[in-house]
Amino acid sequence: MSSLRPQTQRSPLTLLRVWIGFQPNQGLRTAVTYLLMGVLAVSTVGPFIIMLSVSLTQNIRFLLFPIDLIPNPITLENFQLLFARTLALRWTYNSFYVAAVSTLGGVFTSTMAGYAFARGDFIGRNVLFYMFVGILIMPETALIIPQYIMLSDLGLVNSYTALIGPWFASIFGTFLMRQQFLSIPRDYDDAALIDGANIFDTWLRVLMPQLVPAMVTLGILRFMGNWNSFLYPLIVTTKAEMRTLPVGLGTVARSGGDAGLDMAGAVLGFVPTFVVFLLGQRYIIQGVSLSGLKG
Amino acid sequence: MSSATLPPVAQRRALTKRILKSLPWYPFIVLNLVVFVVFNLWPWLSMFQTATFKTDLLSHREFVGLDNFVKKAGDELLHLALKNTFLFALLYVPPLVVVSLLVAILVNQKLRGMKFFRSVYFLPNVTNIAVLALVFRRFLSPRDDAPFNYLLGLVGIPAQRFLLDIHQALASIAGLGVWQSFGFFMVIWLAALQAIPQPLYDAGRVDGAYGWRLHRHVTIPLLRPTAAFVVVITTIGALQEFGAIFILTGGGPVNATTTAVYHIYSQAFNFTRFGYASALSILLFLIILIIAYVQNRYLKFDEEVY
Repeated sequence: MSSLRPQTQRSPLTLLRVWIGFQPNQGLRTAVTYLLMGVLAVSTVGPFIIMLSVSLTQNIRFLLFPIDLIPNPITLENFQLLFARTLALRWTYNSFYVAAVSTLGGVFTSTMAGYAFARGDFIGRNVLFYMFVGILIMPETALIIPQYIMLSDLGLVNSYTALIGPWFASIFGTFLMRQQFLSIPRDYDDAALIDGANIFDTWLRVLMPQLVPAMVTLGILRFMGNWNSFLYPLIVTTKAEMRTLPVGLGTVARSGGDAGLDMAGAVLGFVPTFVVFLLGQRYIIQGVSLSGLKG
Repeated sequence: MSSATLPPVAQRRALTKRILKSLPWYPFIVLNLVVFVVFNLWPWLSMFQTATFKTDLLSHREFVGLDNFVKKAGDELLHLALKNTFLFALLYVPPLVVVSLLVAILVNQKLRGMKFFRSVYFLPNVTNIAVLALVFRRFLSPRDDAPFNYLLGLVGIPAQRFLLDIHQALASIAGLGVWQSFGFFMVIWLAALQAIPQPLYDAGRVDGAYGWRLHRHVTIPLLRPTAAFVVVITTIGALQEFGAIFILTGGGPVNATTTAVYHIYSQAFNFTRFGYASALSILLFLIILIIAYVQNRYLKFDEEVY
């Protein structure tokens, strides 16, 4: 700011204000900033707090204001009802199983293919690369119907294979990992080859250990994406016991139970991604900025 | 020297060498390839075939040529669905782009606690739509003392019917979408804001630009590629909105929230018209492709600005 002006033009008062870090104008701006951000934060977190509070309230048919944020008495009745009346436990298991296998599989295949596209010189590399780019621009909702028809022909509707299948490889992940491999100097490969390692060893023992942070980022993004997917798991499952948690909760929402039961379901669906977000938010925000900057 | 000028034996030897060099790499891509062929390429190609049939996938399968495409012209619900889809994009994209940018500017200041606020704003984005629908179905209840109507009542606005009102349902779902996603695009704007080199601001100040003028001539031009990215991504997302509509309104009231994707879903799974749904999917694909292409051209996605 004023650092461009020669020092001599500063009045003692300005120097004092700069020294104690107080400027009236700036102070007002800061206050307004915090006020706006506070209001926004309340509107962002408020619904989740109310969700938790209602889920712990006894006999609550409707959510009506004003409510007690701390219920009296606090009860787990709604959760007991949820597990007794719906297949919520089974859905939770399904979601964890599908998300875990999808995440591990997706990261694994992305790391392999990313390596091949970064270092490999094989026939058909460019054709495959552009094919992958082509698939990437396909809107997934336009593929839902033909995917269902194919799975139905193969008898795979209501199977874990169907739920996990498309998640077992990731084009975004392949491109991300390719970028990561390209960022490692080829000297590492050359040194490994001179020491007698083949390309598999080079990939597994020399390059992969350097890419663990990128793999964690990709893994968290894949887990979140898979856990939160809705349309695809909705169409490939018709039996209640094969539903994932979000799809199952969707049926709970449509069935019109009471508020306490709804909110207990919401809490159940909220907690896993919330925990992953708390633990891995550094990676998530990094991954999102990365995808945005790449364009 | 190209291999075509080599004698045949040498040519064959070069090819053999190239194949041998290629082989070790295929195991690295084979899993990827299988997944994409089975779950993307095959369905994508078969969609064009299915679109020429009238089929319920069970007993009935009849070749109808281009009938499914001709039928679209007379499908009034489709016309309404397309109108709703574009209306939804208009209700969703501009507020989302503006709000996320303003919030990014707000949290880009060097003040205490900014990281905390950024995380808080990101929270709805990592929460799945079923959870949000369960919560907001209660908030948007038409009862006088339901949360939103209670808050409206405090400032003297009469109770609204939100999801049950044909004029408010689509806007309510767009609002939920903006609330869910602004934190995500805030992070993208933030990355762009922080990538602007500080010397450019210093140079602008030397030239006498302060405050708004500085943003007008430095920040905004440099954010254009990011703006293009955000507009294209949010539009593609808006054209494919489904989850909230499926759970909260089921396309109603009176088809007021029947969008293109919901119409496709409903034709396939409520009416078992899989051939027609395939033809609709091709239409959806073309619409998204054309809109993304036009936006790309017009907003000049890839142009270098530095």
